[in-house]
Amino acid sequence: MSKGLDNLKRIVVLMMENRSFDHMLGALKAQDPRIDGITADLSNPDSTGAPVKVQPLAEFQGQLDPDPDHHFPGVDLQIFGGDTSAGRVPNMQGFVKSYFSQQHDVKHSQKIMYYFTPDKVPVLTTLATEFAVFNRWFASIPGPTICNRAFAHYGTSFGKVGMDLFYINEPYKSIYDRLILANPKRTSKLYYYDQASSTQEIVNLLQHQPELFGTYKQFLSDCKKGQLPDYSFVEPNYSDHDGDNGAEIASDQHPDHHVQAGELFIATIYNAIKANPDLWQSTVLLVVYDEHGGIYDHVVPPACPKDGFVAAANDTGTGRAFEFDRLGIRVPAILISPWIPKGTIVSDRTFEHASIPATVTKHFLGNYDQRSPREKAADTFLDLITLDTMRTDCPDFGV
Amino acid sequence: MVLIPVPKPPKSAMNPNRPVSKLLRNQMEHLQRAEFRLPLKQQTNIYINAIKTEGEAADYVRRVTQAIHSAHGVEPKGAAAGPIAVTPKRRATGRDIAAVAEVRPTRKRKTMRTSKAKTKRKTRTKRNR
Repeated sequence: MSKGLDNLKRIVVLMMENRSFDHMLGALKAQDPRIDGITADLSNPDSTGAPVKVQPLAEFQGQLDPDPDHHFPGVDLQIFGGDTSAGRVPNMQGFVKSYFSQQHDVKHSQKIMYYFTPDKVPVLTTLATEFAVFNRWFASIPGPTICNRAFAHYGTSFGKVGMDLFYINEPYKSIYDRLILANPKRTSKLYYYDQASSTQEIVNLLQHQPELFGTYKQFLSDCKKGQLPDYSFVEPNYSDHDGDNGAEIASDQHPDHHVQAGELFIATIYNAIKANPDLWQSTVLLVVYDEHGGIYDHVVPPACPKDGFVAAANDTGTGRAFEFDRLGIRVPAILISPWIPKGTIVSDRTFEHASIPATVTKHFLGNYDQRSPREKAADTFLDLITLDTMRTDCPDFGV
Repeated sequence: MVLIPVPKPPKSAMNPNRPVSKLLRNQMEHLQRAEFRLPLKQQTNIYINAIKTEGEAADYVRRVTQAIHSAHGVEPKGAAAGPIAVTPKRRATGRDIAAVAEVRPTRKRKTMRTSKAKTKRKTRTKRNR
């Protein structure tokens, strides 16, 4: 075990919204070919069959309106290019077709292929190049927010593939319950931005265990006082609204929210941890996105072990049942710690959101059997903390 | 140590009048499920189908989140009450009426009327006509 891992006391996860790997980090391939990002020849056919190439024209706001489809049937089209035959093969050729179906505007549909250059997203790209970036972190389900976030909290979505409510099926407890019921007891908290933004995990956790929740302000205060729990899950601001201190801009980066507001938010979370030296040397931060939001990525989501649930054909909306045996589309994921070597690229391993509870459980609780098949099969990521000497060259963000 | 400047979004990026996204709509629907399990006096009486903008949605989300915390007697730190915004009020529906029926009356009836007493009263009323 490295000294860095030996020193680890806290895990913090920040989960953003709806951006694909290629869209946010794909351009880094030009700087470091080990990063599995954008090459100029990548394309998708538009509704006329003409190839639409990827272009570095992504804008912070106003471009992805209407919100690109990222529900199960839409993602199915994006992955399989519209092929519904029995022997179909995933080809990532349906993104433009999918976006075209929302507005029937050929020119507008091409914007789904746009990506950011590193200078436009300096926080995310700096973190990716300074610490560990995952080439193969996929959403857990080729579907929308709620079912994907469920995998981060429970290691399963209990058979759901959409935005519907889900209820916990025993014996799979949330990662928070596992920690607080452990002997010796562990601590955990979900920090939502504020009460006007609240959480996306309502019916099981907020409704029954509101004591698990804190706010962004409390997160900052806990960082300052060195009182972060063993495990923290941070949610961004999901809406533009008036707050106690004036305007609170959405920081989740969900289209059509401003991408720079999310950049600022990620930077403040990083800075808050780094500003407390004790915390910085004993905490690891994972920044990850819940799903791709309908935006282009070129990597085919791999097959994965079944989860023991089946979503019926009526629920998937594709005319076929889903056995939770394929991951969703690739998302940005970065692991941050001063004990991780600069420029770490994680290439030959596959991760998904079930890797989050799997990692937290492994680190804090050790053997724990009552977990979903997907979580049991999920890879964990703390072995990336390999240094025996803490880095002193980590960047700061001027916010 | 390198200092990376982080540009701020322009003020024009803020738009609480932006139409509610599917994500926020779902969040409100889920919160409403939770709200209906709260005691009646803690429910917001807000008609969420009339909520059209992010600002209105945020107001609803805040009220229900506060109500849930309040019902459990736990208030997260840094969660001061926000400004009161105008959110569409909900019309009473069959569900509300059913919910009211489930609540025990706070005042006790003076006497329990038996079927025998009812019959007597009916007879008396008829006689009085």
